[in-house]
Amino acid sequence: MRQLLSRSKGGGRTQSTLPFWLILPTIIVLLAIQVYPALYTVWLSLQEREPEGWTFIGLENFKRLFATSLFNESVGHTIVFLVGYAGLTLVLGFVIALLLSRNVRLSGLYITLLFIPWIIADLLVGLIFRLMVVPDYGLLSGILQNPAIIPPDGLSVLTAVPPKSWFGDFPFPPAAAMTFLILASTWRALPFVTLLLLAAMQTVPTEIIESSRIDGANGRQVIRHIMVPLMLPTMVVALFSLTLSGMNGVGMVFSLTGGGPGTSTYVLSYMLYSIGWDRLQFGRAAALALMIAIVNWLLISGTLRLTRVEERSV
Amino acid sequence: MKQKWSLIVLILLFALILTACGGSTEEPAAENAPAEEPAADTVPAEEPAAEVQDFVTWYQYDEKNEDPASDERVGNEYLRNTIPQFNEAFAGKWNWANQPKAFDRMTTELVAAVQAGGEVPDLFELSNTQDVIDFYRNGTAQDMMAWAQEQSWWSDLDPNAIDACTAPDGALLCIPISQRPQLVYVWNDRFPDGYPTTPEEFLARAEELKAEGLYAITFFGSTDKGGEGLTRGIWTTISSFGGALDDGQGNMLLNTPENIAAIEFLREIVANEYVPEIAFAGGFQEEEAFKDSSAGSFPTGLFGYRYVNPLTAPNGTAYAKGSAEDMIDAIEAGDVYLTHFIAAEGQMPGCGVDVAGFVIPVGATNVDAAHDYINWIMSPEQNANWVQGPGGGFPALKATQADPAFQTTFYKEAAEAIGASACSPWYGSLERPNEAQETVMTAVYKLIKEDPTADIAEVLTQTQEEYNAGN
Amino acid sequence: MRHKPLMTRQRRENILINIALIAVVLLAMLPIATTVLVSFKMEQDVTRKPPVIFPCDTETQAFEWAACRWSVEGYDRVLKPEPASNWLGFELTGNMIRTYIPNTLLYATTTSLLVVILAGLSGYAFSRYRFRGHRPLMVSILAITGVPLLTNLLALYQMGVKLRKADIPFYDDRFFIIMVYMGFFLPLSVWIAKGFFDAIPRELEDAALIDGCSPLGALWRVIMPLAAPGLMAVFLLTFVGVWNEFIAGYLLISKNDHKTVMFGLYDFLGQNIINLQVLAAACILIALPVVVLFLFTRRTFFKAMVEGAIKG
Repeated sequence: MRQLLSRSKGGGRTQSTLPFWLILPTIIVLLAIQVYPALYTVWLSLQEREPEGWTFIGLENFKRLFATSLFNESVGHTIVFLVGYAGLTLVLGFVIALLLSRNVRLSGLYITLLFIPWIIADLLVGLIFRLMVVPDYGLLSGILQNPAIIPPDGLSVLTAVPPKSWFGDFPFPPAAAMTFLILASTWRALPFVTLLLLAAMQTVPTEIIESSRIDGANGRQVIRHIMVPLMLPTMVVALFSLTLSGMNGVGMVFSLTGGGPGTSTYVLSYMLYSIGWDRLQFGRAAALALMIAIVNWLLISGTLRLTRVEERSV
Repeated sequence: MKQKWSLIVLILLFALILTACGGSTEEPAAENAPAEEPAADTVPAEEPAAEVQDFVTWYQYDEKNEDPASDERVGNEYLRNTIPQFNEAFAGKWNWANQPKAFDRMTTELVAAVQAGGEVPDLFELSNTQDVIDFYRNGTAQDMMAWAQEQSWWSDLDPNAIDACTAPDGALLCIPISQRPQLVYVWNDRFPDGYPTTPEEFLARAEELKAEGLYAITFFGSTDKGGEGLTRGIWTTISSFGGALDDGQGNMLLNTPENIAAIEFLREIVANEYVPEIAFAGGFQEEEAFKDSSAGSFPTGLFGYRYVNPLTAPNGTAYAKGSAEDMIDAIEAGDVYLTHFIAAEGQMPGCGVDVAGFVIPVGATNVDAAHDYINWIMSPEQNANWVQGPGGGFPALKATQADPAFQTTFYKEAAEAIGASACSPWYGSLERPNEAQETVMTAVYKLIKEDPTADIAEVLTQTQEEYNAGN
Repeated sequence: MRHKPLMTRQRRENILINIALIAVVLLAMLPIATTVLVSFKMEQDVTRKPPVIFPCDTETQAFEWAACRWSVEGYDRVLKPEPASNWLGFELTGNMIRTYIPNTLLYATTTSLLVVILAGLSGYAFSRYRFRGHRPLMVSILAITGVPLLTNLLALYQMGVKLRKADIPFYDDRFFIIMVYMGFFLPLSVWIAKGFFDAIPRELEDAALIDGCSPLGALWRVIMPLAAPGLMAVFLLTFVGVWNEFIAGYLLISKNDHKTVMFGLYDFLGQNIINLQVLAAACILIALPVVVLFLFTRRTFFKAMVEGAIKG
């Protein structure tokens, strides 16, 4: 903050109206495409559609949303999904980044190949994974549905009933379809996180690692006591960004499970799609959108605070 | 490589920044669009002739899709053949311009288009009667009662079909052309002595089939497609046990002895593995088990014959044209027959019924053409054709029922099956059918598949209370 | 002699790491490989119970090269080649090739170019000037993306309808789609562009100003060439973003002739997902262009992503 202030004092270009004109087009587009619709969403969240037209109903949409069991279920599924997805991606990303950081000869090729999933649309990733586990015909179903491999009856990912929950209504352990959804999402997000962590890893000064090795630290200790603390801000940024994308992405659920079987992959973003564009209850969907927006804002502000800490410390 | 790319971008940037200098962001894109016009060479030709007006329809079929393997080829072909006929019949007056729409999105789009005051068609092909309720709530469709009552065909329409098109306030929001009842497709070799008529008989035969490694029945059992499964096999079963989903006053009423009995029956056939796992896979994959005849029967819509192909009979005969003809052929050959579902004691076999027809949206610009079109479709020359094409069902016009097209084995068996059943729309008096469909299907799925030990009455009560809280 | 055991230890470690990495890469390629495999099968091999991995079994043998029943049926259904009198002797008549891919190319290229221009201008302003509301403006640009897209689309749909009715000369529905995509991808692009401008020393610019360039002249002649790789990154990220976008196109585009590739995939989902080989072929064909683009420009991508994630 101090740095910003001092720079603006010394800058001496504040008189010019040029920056205003440079930014104006961007602001116009954002006002039209992002701000106005967002305000409309706020208005919509207080309305209900009647045959006569939109009717103001106050906070009724929020109340009804809280009262539906599907909302509560979706919150549970979203938490399970986010924890599984972000956790798995971070851990795997860290391990792969660690392997790549050893500068093996073909690391460029590995990175390129590993990166391809990230470039594929989430809708397609959902379909690609669905093709693998289509009941009876999917190539993976051939293995998983074989009772000799998974006793007693084999596992049909897209239709398997979720196991009995350990914590009352909380959907854990997750259904097979949810696990598979997590795997598919991880597959797509992994390259991004790997690259991010790899970049952070390369900023850890090698002297520190070497000197600690000389002091007798083994590999695990180096990772635990030197690399992880130094990379922590990046990991948290990655975590936030994963949570943000996991919270809002709908394409993969759309094409992989459609929320099923039953409601076992019904997450909030899919619920938003379904009550808005399937059931045409736009008022209630807007109320849900605002709730999701609050979570998003928390994540965004967290990211910003962290990156500013970084900026200051540089 | 990178440098080359950067160079290209820079050049393009430069070219564009010259046009964008005024600070307006709109010009470059506006200039771009006309330049790319050749990409849009498939835009329907808009005839320049002065007094010929466009008559715009939204069908889920696409006359330009000539793919013989398309699952909608019956409807596509119908439009391809009929559009020139219409344009000829109304030459100099109307020009039929169809806009194909995705089947699972057209209702939403029409509601949104009317709300926004956007371009709406003059006529909308309705294939799902519960859309009428959506249209009523959202003020999407015009009331056609006054006009329809003056038409010559009005008195000849099946009253049930008219009911299905009537909104809660009495407005007539669609003109029914075709009725699509639900019935049961059966592999003859799996049920050679006729289809069971009671739950007990069904269970006994199912056990025999299971011993042979076969399934008695497959149905849309997943919660996919917004709970679509409810409107098919699930409603057939519930209504066959004398059940209903509403109290007749717009409230949901699920916790009734009849509904519980129906769910207990479904629970039993699922628990005993008389139903293949693929029934719960969603995406209409339950059909696969009937196609390869591993499942002996399949309760679904009459129009299902179009999509359930190719077929392999239990005796190995393959019906492999990969088109709607396969099922018809199998029925003609006696390998498949159509019948009604079982019924609990003292009940009629139940079934859902849907209506396909036409809606004139609020804001339609060419209502006269839509009226002319409806009258044209109601004419003897066109009616049977529509019912067999996009309609995929029975004629709503009694006069057309005598048409030779409906005297085939397929239609005769279907008529017999329907005649022995009590068919009704599943949503009864419920005013939020989309929400009801999803929540009830979720509850049913939970009870029969996910948690077969859950208390049926409790889950049903909870579901109905949650829905009624929104009334 | 003392070094030798160390060398072999290192080498052994290297081999282990390579093996681990190869395993990871193979695992990561598995879903793609199965899709490619399915896309080259015939329907009768796709719908087999239990499934076969290679359609190469005969009645006597589990695998025989000569018996493989590879097929391009899936691609055939998507591309629909028809004989024609052009130099190739055939033309591809599938909607995917004739309409959806050209449309998406148009949307993606135009959107990306416009985003590069706007994000470049405002990123430069944010990087070089301090003015009242600087930080709040930057933050709100990012924060505005926090409102979920799905309900915003209703407002955008209504906006599109009003624009269409307003009879603006040269107006085209596609223009609105491009506007919408711009709005989606601008916020992050502004942040990324600012990051790239921040990395360019201001002294260069000051020197140009002293030499008598106007500020815009300095921006154009001195800064732009240096910022080009960064702007290229913005271009690529936006391009891929538009290419892969589904839900907005699905809900906003009402004419078949304006559909995007992701929406076009819907043609093959149809009511029955029986034609897995067609679906697989469509997936491959849709993903291929961006994958190829990525392979040629991967370094720019890597840089942009790290930059984008850390700054924004």
